[in-house]
Amino acid sequence: MAGRLWTVLARRTAMAAAVAGAVALPAAAQRAEPCIGISMEVTGPLANQGLMLRITLETALEKINAAGGVLGRPLRLVIYDDVGEPARAVDNARRIGERDNCVVMFGGARTPNAIALREPLAEMGLPWIGAISAGTAVIEHPNGKNEWMFRVSMKDRWVTGYLIDQAKARSASGKIGFVYEGTAWGQGALPDIEAAARRAGVTLAGRETFNIGDQDMSAQMIRLRDAGVDTIVLWAVDRESANMLRSMDRIGYRPKIVSAWGLTTAFARAVGPLAEGIMVAGTFNWNGPLSPEAQAAFDAMKAKFPDRIRTTADMEQPSAMANAWDAVHMLAEALKIAGAYDRTRLRDAFYRVNYTGLIADYRPAFIKGNQERHDAILAEHYKLQAFHNGMLMPIEATPYGMRN
Amino acid sequence: MEAILQYLLTGLSVGSVYAMVGLGFYVMWSAAKAVNFNFGDIVMLGAVLTVVLMDVGVPLLPACLGAVAAAALLAAAIERGFVRPFNREANAIGWMLTTIAVGTMIESATTALFGSNPRRLETPLVEAPLRIGGSGIYPQELLLPVALLVVAVGLEFFYRRTITGRAMRAVAYNRTAAGLVGIDADRMTLLSFGLAGLLGALSGVLIGPVIQASATMGAIIGLKGFLVAIIAGIANARGVVIAGVLYGVSEKFIEAYLSTAARDAIGFSLMVLLLLLFPQGLFGKAEFKKV
Repeated sequence: MAGRLWTVLARRTAMAAAVAGAVALPAAAQRAEPCIGISMEVTGPLANQGLMLRITLETALEKINAAGGVLGRPLRLVIYDDVGEPARAVDNARRIGERDNCVVMFGGARTPNAIALREPLAEMGLPWIGAISAGTAVIEHPNGKNEWMFRVSMKDRWVTGYLIDQAKARSASGKIGFVYEGTAWGQGALPDIEAAARRAGVTLAGRETFNIGDQDMSAQMIRLRDAGVDTIVLWAVDRESANMLRSMDRIGYRPKIVSAWGLTTAFARAVGPLAEGIMVAGTFNWNGPLSPEAQAAFDAMKAKFPDRIRTTADMEQPSAMANAWDAVHMLAEALKIAGAYDRTRLRDAFYRVNYTGLIADYRPAFIKGNQERHDAILAEHYKLQAFHNGMLMPIEATPYGMRN
Repeated sequence: MEAILQYLLTGLSVGSVYAMVGLGFYVMWSAAKAVNFNFGDIVMLGAVLTVVLMDVGVPLLPACLGAVAAAALLAAAIERGFVRPFNREANAIGWMLTTIAVGTMIESATTALFGSNPRRLETPLVEAPLRIGGSGIYPQELLLPVALLVVAVGLEFFYRRTITGRAMRAVAYNRTAAGLVGIDADRMTLLSFGLAGLLGALSGVLIGPVIQASATMGAIIGLKGFLVAIIAGIANARGVVIAGVLYGVSEKFIEAYLSTAARDAIGFSLMVLLLLLFPQGLFGKAEFKKV
């Protein structure tokens, strides 16, 4: 009798412990839904980048789901608008992680928004994968403990080195200037550019900044011209870059320009012939020869969004779209490796993904314990492109074709 | 010397835009003692609607006229729907919130329909800059001070020599007394907002080819137009014109010789200082009341 009593007590204690354990389990260890939540600019100045991301992700998911989905279930996309504001991005991340219980979050365009997500994502144990925001600190956290954020995009620290090398190779006088927007993205690049210049043995002959919305940059351009700068490394987006070119045109100043990837085909449409010859770092170009996989991706986007995508010139964010295409396929691979819609298992599975994408052969995609390698695209995968006849082309296909 | 001339030319051009937008605030304030706080969106619509009309095949000049007319109508509609109902009581401030709200809606709708990318507003006047004493300026930019001059003289003529203009002035002086002599004060206010919309949209059409048309292009311009109107004394048209041009030129010299990044901080600090020294604005007059 006493033995039976002890057995019952032991069972009940075990059950109570199990229930208490289940309640105490972090959200990360619980099963999640087969959804990808994304916070991006649906409205706001960079809404075109959000649109290009949506086109890519929806097309890629349609292809994946048509082949049976992942682990037998279709993946769905949940989109939230952050209007480009970090506070809203954090709010959206909470919805994605807690209310929608998505297995993963996809990142939008802005670096400050991604940086604002570092702590909330770690708290929720929600994996994040970015395809645009390139800020170094998005992935390389100051505390060295990035466990949840992965990226299939460029990294500013590597981009700055790449741009300085390209500028140095093209400058006749060796006088290189840096022009950057006065935002977290632009300000954050300044120390990286200076470090890259030191490494390359280049002394920057000028550093000029401007505010978002500035219409005229004559003063900055006059200073650079008077300093003898013949090559500019540019860190800006379409609208202000267009206004900068107008300012250069006014004073008859025509340096070479090597730009970070803030410039899109919309920029060339806005300034017309003034864009000719401007070089842009990127990861992929749809206007050059395409692999069968890339051609199929383009054809699928064209078929799904016939009003927006008619030719490859309509791929306004060429590199970001290829990044996102590869990212979503790597995510699907990681889920298969994880074997369940479980965030922690997904996070661990990312380190075991080996995948041949549009941009690179990712082997491995990410390396555990090395937050620098939570970036899948490496500097060696960067490609230089140039505007020619209003299109962003691989530089080899233009008259500006010093190969990178 | 060449650089100084450059700063003067570009400052004159951008200052003319500020002044024209500031005049819009002057016209609204004179009639209603209220303004459309998101007036920058009317500026934006001038440029954006021109691009849209050109997209559907309307030639440049009719497209500009159509865009300005449509934006002016919208500005009048904003007065009717979002200012008048919230400005009935003395010291009412509801119109501040409603105009900001409607401006946000306009900007969001424009982003959704027009896209967030800047678009080219093609005119032959930005194809190549003119060289003046070693400096450069687009012919389009030279149109801006010319347009400002025409607008300022035209407004003066309108307010002093036309019946409608005089009626608007009467409403501005004393709304109740104007009503007693048979002037429809509400109608005059509606017309004033329409007239202000015309000025705002015109400035958008004129600056659009230089800075590209985009859904967010009006925000800074609208803010600075308001700033120069306040610095000048919002009830003084000539003061608004002078303050607008001076502010535009001084911005260029701040960028050139002090700091590019701190330009707006310096400009806005200057505004606060001037308001401390001249509470009615540089050209405003203190209002006296007989007791």
